Amino acid sequence: MSPKAQRADRLTAAVLLALGLAFLAGGAMMDRLEIRHIHPASIPGLVPMFLGAILALCAVLLLLGARGPASETDAQNALDVSTPNLWITLGLTLVYALGLVGRVPFTPATAVFIACFVAVFTWPAERDGRERLMTLGRSAVYGLALALVVSTLFRDGFLVRLP
Amino acid sequence: MDRLTDFLGALGGLMSFATLFHVTWSTLLGIFVGSLPGLTATMGVALLTTLTYTLDRDAAILVLICMYVGAIYGGSRSAILLNIPGTPASAATALDGFPLAQRGEAGYAMALATAGSALGTIVGIVLLVLLAPPLGEAALGFGSFEFFWLAVFGIVISGQLTAGGSPLKGYIAGILGLMVAMVGSDGIHAHVRFSFGVSELNGGIGLIPAMVGAFGFAEVLTVMWQRRAQVASVQTGSGRSLPRLSDLWRYKGTIGRSGVIGTLVGIIPGVGEDIGAWASYALARRLSPERAEFGKGSREGLTAAETGNSAVVPGALIPALTLAVPGSAPAAVLIAALFIHGVRPGPMIMLEQPQFIYSIAAMLLLATIAIAVFGLSLTRFFVMVMRVPREYLMPVVFTLCLIGPYALTQRVFDIWVMVAFGILGFVLRRMDYPMPPLVLGIILGDLLDKNLRRGLTLSDGDLSPFFTRPISAAFAVLIALTIAASIPGVRRMLARLFPRRRLAGSSPRGGSQ
Repeated sequence: MSPKAQRADRLTAAVLLALGLAFLAGGAMMDRLEIRHIHPASIPGLVPMFLGAILALCAVLLLLGARGPASETDAQNALDVSTPNLWITLGLTLVYALGLVGRVPFTPATAVFIACFVAVFTWPAERDGRERLMTLGRSAVYGLALALVVSTLFRDGFLVRLP
Repeated sequence: MDRLTDFLGALGGLMSFATLFHVTWSTLLGIFVGSLPGLTATMGVALLTTLTYTLDRDAAILVLICMYVGAIYGGSRSAILLNIPGTPASAATALDGFPLAQRGEAGYAMALATAGSALGTIVGIVLLVLLAPPLGEAALGFGSFEFFWLAVFGIVISGQLTAGGSPLKGYIAGILGLMVAMVGSDGIHAHVRFSFGVSELNGGIGLIPAMVGAFGFAEVLTVMWQRRAQVASVQTGSGRSLPRLSDLWRYKGTIGRSGVIGTLVGIIPGVGEDIGAWASYALARRLSPERAEFGKGSREGLTAAETGNSAVVPGALIPALTLAVPGSAPAAVLIAALFIHGVRPGPMIMLEQPQFIYSIAAMLLLATIAIAVFGLSLTRFFVMVMRVPREYLMPVVFTLCLIGPYALTQRVFDIWVMVAFGILGFVLRRMDYPMPPLVLGIILGDLLDKNLRRGLTLSDGDLSPFFTRPISAAFAVLIALTIAASIPGVRRMLARLFPRRRLAGSSPRGGSQ
């Protein structure tokens, strides 16, 4: 395990421990429904309590496993990835899903999202105005076409009232 | 004989132009989904579920089964041609498929993969027809105590087998899934739990939005995060594109064995196709006289891997139909789809719809014939499909991830659930937490919760029936042994007792199919 993985495990263990204890407390404080004279062994909080305790135990074991010297270096575990690409993807998808859908009609929202996505990720590196214009045009046509296809399919084919 | 008659009757009942049309388009779509790295069988089945609401029951289930079979098979295409498994199920295929392609035998490798997939599925279908009815009848004798242990067993075994290096992370993923299932009205007293005043949570968190997020959106993020894969230059379509019968006859033992192993792996709850492929591959390598060839372009290795992963599909449907416990992640989506279309999988299926299992077997056979036909005839077309740039594909996939779950309930809230599970799934995967136990937890949470409390009520709070009834005791012992085997000290001791050769190539890792 690399130092980075160990740090991630320690952080996760802390979060899971908190979650487990919260679930344990939530289950314990849950209504026992005495007013309905239910059997004490069938209270709604029983399984959440049990799960919270088990998760807390697993978190402690995870924490114990992340101690000691690292067996690998971070470089050995490095992945060939692009963090900016991840943030751009996350940004575009969240703006579309949480910002546009429900506020803007589905078809234009989808067309804008797909066009922006394609344009951003296929944007030419060299400063050739004509090439960039072509990229924008291609992305817009592709986005609009796909948005129309998906909208028509769901609205007319599956009778879904689009957001 | 009765079973064969029932099976042939079910097959005859499916024979219509509409059926063949559905088989054609859904299998092609499945192969397309499977052959594109980044689109998984689970994602394909989940997204297609949302497109089947308007179809009648049999057509909808047929379409989903064809998608499932096609996607698991389709993963072999990119594994052979690009050394990138289209789905995790094809990771073992890449070990020998890609070296064969590099030697100019891409066409023949794909033909062998097609034959292996078809034969593996057929072995699985035979076992489905043989095993599902008696298992369904045996499950009729299960009480609350047994169902509780069955749910625990599913989580434990799935966590153990899909977590790669750390079973603890598999268990944690399973527990998180069970916790998600605790949200909403409880199954016994209808008491709302953990809704925090959000009325949309009163009914719980939907399986489809959660799964589409965990498998679909998370995959979109993963694909865009990775740098562009280097496509190896292989002479696609080169070499013979039909399998030689002599080769298939020579590997008949491997095919039969891998088919049985794959099916048995499929029966184990929540384990899935990738483990089926690795288990078959490992055993074929151990028993092969051509052991040295494995990992360098062994035809036997390729056949074993493909037969193994495809045999998991019918195997995974055995517990799904008879116990409502999925054998794999795509089977979990299928269970949800069955409920949507008015089928109640579980022990009662043999009483309520005894013919349904034979219908499923007939659907699987049609899907198998379709992958054989398309696999052998459309090699060049699928090579072209793999050239679709991810920048054009992923926004469309995300759009479908968004509108699919929304279409089911027409609630914007389900879009938020999908997004939340997508981000959670991506983060958990980055830290080596497997997704199948999480999904299995969401599905089995209600079963575990209701049966533990019902069992305790029946026994008046006494825990002993959970350990003294024969099937319960067997489950309890099995679970204890499984957990013990995941303790590092015990594993080291077992490794000393049963030394074994390590596989060449990568180790089996559970992934989302």
